[in-house]
Amino acid sequence: MSEQPVMVFQDVTKVYPLPAGDVTALDGISFQVERGEFISVMGPSGSGKSTLLNLMGCLDVPTTGDIFISGTRIRDMSDIELTSLRRDRIGFIFQYFNLFPLLNTLENVTFPLMLKSGKKADAERGRQVLRSVQLEESLYSHTPTELSGGQQQRVAVARALINDPDILLCDEPTGNLDSKTGAGIMDLMTELNRKGTTIIMVTHDQGIAEYSKRTIRIADGRIVS
Amino acid sequence: MSGGIFYEIAKRNVRIHLLRSSLAMLGIIIGVVAIASMGILGNSLVLTVSDSLKTVGDSVIVTPHVGGNTRGFGGGGGSATSLTLSEQDFLQIKRVSAPNVAIPVLQSSDRMQLGVGSDEIVAAVYGLNPDDIPDLLKLKEGGYSRGNSGCIVGSKFADDHNVKVGSRILIGTDGNKGTLRVTGIIEERGMAFDVSTDSAVVATKDWFDAAYNRNDYDKVVVKVKNLDDLPVVKSAIEKQMNKRDTVVDVMDTRKTMDTIFQAFGQITTFVSAIGGISMLVAGVSILNIMMMSVTERIKEIGIMRSIGAQRKEVMAMFLYEAAILGIIGSIIGGVMSLLGGYAISTLMLQNTKYLFVPSSLIHIMYGMTFGITICLICGIYPAWRAANLNPIDALRHE
Repeated sequence: MSEQPVMVFQDVTKVYPLPAGDVTALDGISFQVERGEFISVMGPSGSGKSTLLNLMGCLDVPTTGDIFISGTRIRDMSDIELTSLRRDRIGFIFQYFNLFPLLNTLENVTFPLMLKSGKKADAERGRQVLRSVQLEESLYSHTPTELSGGQQQRVAVARALINDPDILLCDEPTGNLDSKTGAGIMDLMTELNRKGTTIIMVTHDQGIAEYSKRTIRIADGRIVS
Repeated sequence: MSGGIFYEIAKRNVRIHLLRSSLAMLGIIIGVVAIASMGILGNSLVLTVSDSLKTVGDSVIVTPHVGGNTRGFGGGGGSATSLTLSEQDFLQIKRVSAPNVAIPVLQSSDRMQLGVGSDEIVAAVYGLNPDDIPDLLKLKEGGYSRGNSGCIVGSKFADDHNVKVGSRILIGTDGNKGTLRVTGIIEERGMAFDVSTDSAVVATKDWFDAAYNRNDYDKVVVKVKNLDDLPVVKSAIEKQMNKRDTVVDVMDTRKTMDTIFQAFGQITTFVSAIGGISMLVAGVSILNIMMMSVTERIKEIGIMRSIGAQRKEVMAMFLYEAAILGIIGSIIGGVMSLLGGYAISTLMLQNTKYLFVPSSLIHIMYGMTFGITICLICGIYPAWRAANLNPIDALRHE
């Protein structure tokens, strides 16, 4: 079972019913992601990237077709089950970092750990992950507004990694960073992938996509290559 | 508990919006103070009245029936203006009331002078059997009068007219009913249903009979030893005396007091309810700031939900926030209620001795409980709304 794909899309369609008529955002998408892969998803605006990301992140369910995360079919899952799946199996990295402004660095990182364990934060585990993303120890008690963009994104990466997810889902992870800082983050991603983390990254930046080993291109809701 | 981090976030959110939170809490503080102070005032009023009535709560009072057939019994009256109870009536009442003590009471009012040549005053005069007086009245000074030339007087009478043990009182115009020497001063009894002696002179029955040419009674007071027997004694007297016609009215003083206290209780509830309206207004303010808090943090809620926070955890976070506002506001309000209760009792009752009794303090608990409950209720909708946001929409929110 350890060789089973971490993610499988089988003929997935997503239709949004709108007053003006149904909009098909994804139309019969099928692919699978093996453990340890580093995949980028590219496509123009309106191609269905965000919808695909929402489905991969179990924030939404398909209209038709099936999605399996580490062998678990998400189609008939309740909100509680989907939330638990996101918490335990998926790490999210957002373009705008999306750290909690009221929590400091260490608390932000250990937040998903507390959600999972239901216990007080394991600060040592938090520090260990923060060290792995090469964030200085002196910044652990700082709030997000006291950190630079690159530092915030490193905290966000650490938060995404804290529960040892099967997949790291990244939405334009360097979109809000300058090129040098962005390159630093991508080096970090590459390093994480080299150590075995499965990464799926949505981007429109060809240069960033080149860090990945495989690229899925979509247009008009379909995979084109 | 992951609840710890959500509580921490709620706490920090209250702190970061200190002014807004303080204003919302102010509403709760005012609400708690209004409810608790009004409750304390009402309770103090009840206790004040109850204190002045408590000596008469153990009696059944039998008086001739007013408004009915004026005679049929006894031998006293005969006209509508001289309704009395006869010796025979008294004996019947005494028999059915046994073993409780039945005390026949004669009463009138008359002119009197405190020494020859002094100003004439008018006061109530009671005639009681010397043996019954200790059962009915307690003295604060002097002794009970045994002979027919002695009397005891009410404490207000004594204070008002500077009467002391040993003073002489000339009863009637120019003392034509005789002179009585004061042997004792009666303890203050307050308002009473049986005999109101605070401003009265109490003489012996024999003196009263002789002075006013009476051989009947104005009322009979039955002192009931076991308060639970009050209704039984009352109905036994009614059954005995009102066989054919209603010839006596029987009043159970405890029941009357209960009615009075019930009325006071209703007043307390009413004024507390007025305080409750201010709490409802405070609740609206809580609802308002909680809705603001949710709206400001939609994206944060989206992030929480996307990384694995359950709906109930998001809901709990906002309920914690409402609870923090409610608990802090209610505690401050509770402390201020003591001050408010003190001020209002001092101003309106000139007395604060009923402030620290449990029945007063419980109103602070009521106010605080209501404050916290209102905050939680007003926090439910915003919390529910936050918990049920679509994570995708919430994440997109700017």
